[in-house]
Amino acid sequence: MKRLTQLMAGLALALGLSGPLLAQDGPLRIEITEGVIEPLPFAVPTFSAENAAAQELAAQLAQVVADDLSGTGLFRQIPRDAFISGVSDFNAPVQYADWKAINAQALVTGAVSVAEGGRVTVKFRLFDVFSEAPLGEGLQLGGTTTSWRRIAHKVADQVYSRITGEGGYFDSRVVFVSETGPKNARQKRLAVMDYDGANVQYLTDSASIVLAPRFSPNGSRVIYTSYETGFPKVYMMDVGTVQRRILEDQPGTMAFAPRFAPDGNTVVFSLEKGGNTDIYRLTPGGAATQLTNSPAIETAPSYAPDGSKIVFESDRSGNQQLYVMGANGGEPTRISFGEGRYGTPVWSPRGDYIAFTKQHQGRFHIGVMRTDGSEERLLTASFLDEGPTWSPNGRVIMFTRVGSGAQGEPALYSVDLTGRNLKRIPTPGPASDPAWSPLLP
Amino acid sequence: MPGNLDTGTIVSGVGHIGLIGWVMIGGWLDWSTPEPVVTNVSMISGEEYAALVANAPTPDGVLNPGEQTPDAPDVPEQAETPEPTAPETPPEQPAPPAPVEQAQPETPPEPDTSPAPEPEVAQETPPPPPTPATDEPRGAALVLDTSKRPKERPANRVAPTPVAPPEPDATVDTEATEAAEALPAEEQVTEAEEQEQAAPEAAASEIVTEAEEEETGGEVVAALAPTGSPRPPKRPARRATSAEVTDAAAEAAAQSASDSSNSGTSSSDSASRPTPSRGGPPMTAGEKDALRVSVQQCWNVGSLSSDALRVTVTVAVSMNENGKPDNASIRMVGSEGGADGAVKQAFEAARRAIIRCGARGFPLPAEKYGEWAEIEMVFNPEKMRIK
Repeated sequence: MKRLTQLMAGLALALGLSGPLLAQDGPLRIEITEGVIEPLPFAVPTFSAENAAAQELAAQLAQVVADDLSGTGLFRQIPRDAFISGVSDFNAPVQYADWKAINAQALVTGAVSVAEGGRVTVKFRLFDVFSEAPLGEGLQLGGTTTSWRRIAHKVADQVYSRITGEGGYFDSRVVFVSETGPKNARQKRLAVMDYDGANVQYLTDSASIVLAPRFSPNGSRVIYTSYETGFPKVYMMDVGTVQRRILEDQPGTMAFAPRFAPDGNTVVFSLEKGGNTDIYRLTPGGAATQLTNSPAIETAPSYAPDGSKIVFESDRSGNQQLYVMGANGGEPTRISFGEGRYGTPVWSPRGDYIAFTKQHQGRFHIGVMRTDGSEERLLTASFLDEGPTWSPNGRVIMFTRVGSGAQGEPALYSVDLTGRNLKRIPTPGPASDPAWSPLLP
Repeated sequence: MPGNLDTGTIVSGVGHIGLIGWVMIGGWLDWSTPEPVVTNVSMISGEEYAALVANAPTPDGVLNPGEQTPDAPDVPEQAETPEPTAPETPPEQPAPPAPVEQAQPETPPEPDTSPAPEPEVAQETPPPPPTPATDEPRGAALVLDTSKRPKERPANRVAPTPVAPPEPDATVDTEATEAAEALPAEEQVTEAEEQEQAAPEAAASEIVTEAEEEETGGEVVAALAPTGSPRPPKRPARRATSAEVTDAAAEAAAQSASDSSNSGTSSSDSASRPTPSRGGPPMTAGEKDALRVSVQQCWNVGSLSSDALRVTVTVAVSMNENGKPDNASIRMVGSEGGADGAVKQAFEAARRAIIRCGARGFPLPAEKYGEWAEIEMVFNPEKMRIK
């Protein structure tokens, strides 16, 4: 009887609830749960030159901006010969209909002027064509004629940020190891370049082998491993002056795999003593502090962006896996449990993912996982992929890919966090060990 | 435990009682129909039947009165036997409507597809079932249906995407309203046509801009139009009334001019939007699906940040009677998840979707304008997130 009462009550409740649902009250309501994922078409007309000296720069600036956006894979440039009308005057009203007709969803207009002394001024505006409204306010940037590419990158960063909602990464640099010579007598030296491969500059000569350079959090210094003394040692270099100094020089030891802490002063690295490799921390003016103590090989430390944790690789389980420990050491927690071997973990600057190299069934992968090891996704697969590094906004990963066979050479590649837009970064020759700088000031 | 045993016993008892009752009732039903047959057989004994046969040759009724009285029940029996046969034949004769009846059980998916004839069929469905004949007429009807009209109808009704038909109407209407937006009648009509044809370009701009423009110069739009043209009969008919359209455009232009003179800034779209009246038939699921599909075609989340992909935004929009959104009315009425910046990006992507695909007019039934004059669209990117 009691259950019958409950049943009747349930039915009455169900009927009572369904009544309002059957009758549509208020506006028609629909839910859209599936959209499309495709590059957003945009148009960048040649920037208008406000004086004769700016004529050439105007075209170059616009082209770099367009290349930056197109290179993300998130945007698609509409060729200029498809434009119905151009933008001759930066302050003229936008003819939205013309841009709608060619399906330009975003429009970037700009103007360039070059003053005496080589001072460049660039103004730009971004428009949401279909909304017929500007996206954000116009912005004016200044620089010199020699830094015009950085100005263009900054414009592209602004456009990218306003459309996607996340920070840009175009005005950034990459330090890497440039390789020359035959494989049995390879010469390696440090080099820096723009994120897109332009403006390559060499920081060291080829007298000694260098490995694994890493930028400091503000991009002013580079820390790396060099065999200058015959043994691997950690060096720090000022990028502006190219002055370098050795960091830790304990006789009979090998130091390698250094990386800055988020504070820019503390450094973690691997130190081999008596055949055992552990992770150490070095603070300014202090001695090296041992963070791990295990008979296993533990290396490739990388700080979380808040500096509270360190992820590293270790074979303490008998197989190379990833572990996370506190910034002061302590018992680490294993986070990788998949098949294969995991190495070179790097914490995303956004703190949400850890990128890594995975070797499984004879192939190498670049992958990402959550910081607790969940949601592992492999982004690439090839004969040899290794050494991931994050873009400043945590959206793109650059890494080294080596082709198979005797002719296989290392090269730099980048891939979007989604696994799309895999592409090669142009370098003057074979290149490896990339490390992305933060966004430049 | 005792409680469980009690409930088990109760359930078992109820089940058994129900089973027994079902058997008894079922048996009664089964027995009821053959009863007349049994009585018929029993009533016709051998002697009586022989006597009847012997008397049969005298059809004029010159029989012994004493024998006719026992025969009297036979007459009603004969009157009864034609009755069951009678329902058999009538359903066979109305067989032509019967196939429609059979199609109706399949109609439940049809109302989603929205074409006009289907609801009519749905209204026709009630009449067929009332035929009281028990089992036999149904079997006859089924046989007739399957034999006459095999499987064509169900195939037509399975159509999953019910979008197409309303489009031509929407495009024609939009021309008229856009012409009304600006004053010079003829010039504006041509501009409106260009814009409408430009919208399909937007869907395939990449192909258009690179390949088509070299051939056709600046008039890329016309080359791209074929997507709308393949429906021959209706469009010429509508465009034949272009004179009326221009008249209406002129009137509308005059009205909008007067309106704008009265109230400073008034968009022609919102001005031409009549006050919606509800109370008509509600939107069918198919019509809602058509709207949803047409919006999601333009909802591009590829350029959104991972933060923005965690934001669900609810966007409200006022619709014009021609199926186009009043772009100025697009507003966010709610959001869930994400920081302010991510919410803003998510809303802008949603707004772009409404404006882009709405430029052609959404496939909405004009007679139900009161139902969709105001629409709230919930953009939930849960399925689109990076996984």
